[in-house]
Amino acid sequence: MNLERLPNNEKLSLCRKYYLGGFAFLPFLWLVNVVWFFKEAFLKPAYTEQLQIKTYVKRSGLGLLLWVAVLTTWITIFQHFRAEWGVVADYLSFTIPLGIP
Amino acid sequence: SVTTRDLKKITLDVNSNSVAQKIYVEVNNTVPCVRLLNATHQIGCQSSISGDTGVIHVLESEADLEWPLTKGPNPPYMILLESHLFTRSIMMKIKKESSRIAGVTVVVPNTSPSEFSPHTTCPNENTGVYSDTYGPHLAHCNTTVWNPLGNGLSYEEFDFPVFSLKEDKQCYYDHNRVVNGSAPQYPLCAMQLFSHMFAVTDTATCMRRNDVINFSINPEMVCDPLGDFNVWGSIRPYNRSQLGHRDNESVVMAAARLDSRAFFWDVSTGAEGSISGFVTLLAAAHALRDVTQVAPPTHNILFAFFQGEAFDYIGSSRMVYDMQNGKFVIDLDNVHSLLEIGQVGLRNGSDLFLHSDPVSRMNDTVNDQVREHERYRCSLIHRHHRLVDNFQSSPLPPSSLQRFLRAQNIPGIVLADHRAAFNNKYYESYYDNADNLNLRYPPNMTAEEQLEFLTDTAMALTEVATVVARALYKQAGGDGTQVDNIKADSKTVTQMLFGFLVQANNSWFQALIPPELKDMLSDPPDFYVGVASSSPAKAKPLTRLVQFLLANLTGTATNLTQDQCQKPDDLPDESVQMYSYLWVQGTVPHNGTEKGPFCVRASVRLSQALSPAFDLGEYASRNYSTWTESRWKFIKARIFLVASRDLEMLTLGVGVAVLFSSLLVTYFISTKADVLFSSAREPASAAY
Repeated sequence: MNLERLPNNEKLSLCRKYYLGGFAFLPFLWLVNVVWFFKEAFLKPAYTEQLQIKTYVKRSGLGLLLWVAVLTTWITIFQHFRAEWGVVADYLSFTIPLGIP
Repeated sequence: SVTTRDLKKITLDVNSNSVAQKIYVEVNNTVPCVRLLNATHQIGCQSSISGDTGVIHVLESEADLEWPLTKGPNPPYMILLESHLFTRSIMMKIKKESSRIAGVTVVVPNTSPSEFSPHTTCPNENTGVYSDTYGPHLAHCNTTVWNPLGNGLSYEEFDFPVFSLKEDKQCYYDHNRVVNGSAPQYPLCAMQLFSHMFAVTDTATCMRRNDVINFSINPEMVCDPLGDFNVWGSIRPYNRSQLGHRDNESVVMAAARLDSRAFFWDVSTGAEGSISGFVTLLAAAHALRDVTQVAPPTHNILFAFFQGEAFDYIGSSRMVYDMQNGKFVIDLDNVHSLLEIGQVGLRNGSDLFLHSDPVSRMNDTVNDQVREHERYRCSLIHRHHRLVDNFQSSPLPPSSLQRFLRAQNIPGIVLADHRAAFNNKYYESYYDNADNLNLRYPPNMTAEEQLEFLTDTAMALTEVATVVARALYKQAGGDGTQVDNIKADSKTVTQMLFGFLVQANNSWFQALIPPELKDMLSDPPDFYVGVASSSPAKAKPLTRLVQFLLANLTGTATNLTQDQCQKPDDLPDESVQMYSYLWVQGTVPHNGTEKGPFCVRASVRLSQALSPAFDLGEYASRNYSTWTESRWKFIKARIFLVASRDLEMLTLGVGVAVLFSSLLVTYFISTKADVLFSSAREPASAAY
C-alpha cells in the first residue's frame, strides 16, 4: 500500500492499529510500524496528525527493542545450555538434533 | 580396485549420464562400526551428518602415524590400516589427535592375526553375580582374568567413523605416495565415509527422545533396544497356558548361549565362543531323545538357548525375571540344578573343566551342595576324559548361570575347556571363525561331501555332547543301566558345524526348515543379537534355525497334513498348548527316496529375550542390561579425487569475478542503451 495516496487521518488510524496489534505478542507488527512510518513521522514536513504518529512509532520502537533483547537472551541461553538441561530441554524442544547431545 | 586409468576414463566418458557418477566411485561391501548405548555410556563410532572426507593414507607402521597426526600437510587424513596394525595403542593415539583424522578404515584380512580380542578383559563384570555384596574378592576379575587378551576396543567411543573394507590401495599408490619425505602433489585420492548415528549420550536419553515424538514436529525414532528370542525345549512338554510355580516339579536345566559380537557391526561368528556350546547342547538333546522315551527319568530336563548374552545377559536375565514373576512355565523353585555348556571347542587333550560358584557352596547347606556337586562329578566321569574340579576359590566364568544365582541359590556347573583364562584367543571378535576351531576339510571336496565329512572338531564335540547327555540323564534320576546307551551322533554334530561355520545353505538345513523360509539360509548366519522385534515370526534367522534344529532333533515326525499341522487342535490327540507343530521341508527328492514335507511335533518354544529394564521403564538400571543400538539413515563409503584448497578458492574467486563483471557490463549497457542501439534504427513506419 502506498502511503502517499492516503489521507492523513487514515495514516494515523493505520499506525494506531499496528501499534495496538503489537501488544498481542506480535513484535513484528511493531517492526513494520517503525519501518513503514519512519519517513512519515520524522522526515516529512509537519502536519496535524504527525505528532501522534511520531508517538506511536517511538513506542513501537521501544517495544521492539525490548522484545529483541528478551528473545536474544532466551535464545542464547537455550542454545548454550540445551545439552546440559537434559530432560527439561527435550520437553521444551520442537526439533531435537540427531546424533549430538 | 580403482585405478587412475579408471578414474580418468570415467571423467572422459561423455556418455556417463551424471556428473556424480563421473566423480565418485562407490565402495561396496562396507562394514561400519555403529553406536551402542547403555545406562551410562555410548560406545562405537560416529561420523558427521554429511560424511567425513579425508585424504587416504596407508599406514605402514606405528611410527608412520606421525605423518597423518602431525607432519602431513593435507589434513584431514583417512587412515587405512592393515589388520595387524588395528591395535589398541594405534587407535588410542588416533583418538587423541582426532582433529586431523577424518576416519579409519581397516582392511579385511585373509588370515587371522596371532591373537585379537576387542572385548574387555572381564566380560559382563557388572551384571554377573559377583559384586560388593556377593563374593567381593571375586568380583571384577580380582582372582581370575577371563579374557587377558582383551583390548577393550569394542567398548571405546570414537568420534570418527571406522569402517572395514576390502583391500583397495591402487588409488593411494597412484596419487598419495610420500616420496622421499616430500608431500604428494594434488590432486589427491580421498575417501568419504557416512555413518551418522542418531542416538547420543545414553539409553535413558535416547529412549526419552523416542517417546517425545508426540510433541515434536519432526518425529524420529533414534534407538532400539537389543534383544531377540530365547529357544527352549523340554523332554516332557509343559502346558503353556499354565504359568508360574508347578507343585512337585523339579526340572534339570541345561543352558548354552547363541550369540556373539565383534567390533564391527553384524559380522561376528563366535565359533568357539558360542557355537561350540550350543552345538554340543543340541547334540546332547538329540542323544537323549530315544532313551527318555524308553526309560523316562524322574525329573524333566529343560534345554535353554539364550540370546543376547554378550550384552550383559539379555536372554538369561529375561528368563530369570519371567520365572520370578510367574510369566514362565516354571519358576525358580522348580529348578533342580543348571548345567551350562560354556566354550568347549578348544580342549587341551581331553581335559574338561567344571566351574562352580564357591560363594554359594559356602553359604548354603554345605551337605546339600556338596552332595549335588559330587553327583555331578560321578555323572560326568567318562573313560576318556579327565574331569577337573576347579579350585574352591575360583569364581564362575561369565555365564548365564550367574544370572540364576543372582536370583536364587541354585546348584550349577559350567562346563568349559579352560581352567582359568579362556583358551579362545579371539573372544568376541571377527576372527572367531572355523579356523579358530581347527575345522579342516580335505581339499577338493564338494559342499555336499564336506557336509557329511567327520572332522576332528566334530568328533571332539561329540564326546563332550555324550558326557553332557549322560550327566543330564543321571542328574534327572534316570535309570543307571541305560546310561551307556546314550551316545551323541557325530554325523549330526559335523553337519551342524558345517552349516553354522561354512555354508548354511546345505541340503540338511534345507530339510529342517519350512519350504517358504529357504531365504533364511542365503546369507551366512549372523550371530549378533541385533535389535529386538515384537513377534517370534520376525526372530533372527539364527534363532529360528536353532528352533527348527531343536524341534527336529528332539521332536517326533507325525502323519499330519499341512492343514492339520497349522490347526492341530481339531484333532483329538494333539494340543497346541503342549506342543508346537512345525511344517518342515523334509529331505529333498534325491535318488528316488522322496520323503517330502512333514509335520514335526516338538515341545520347543521361543520366549522373548528383551531386557526387563525396557519393560519396567528403568532405562538407567544397574541390575539389568540396558543396551540399545542407534538408528541411522544410510551407511556408505566413496572414493574420489580432491583438488587443493588453493585451486578451489581460485575457481570460486574466478566465478565471483565473472558474476560481478557481468553485472557491471549489463548495467553499463542498459544505461547507455540509447547510444549503443540508436544508430542503426530506422524510423518506425506506422504500417498496420
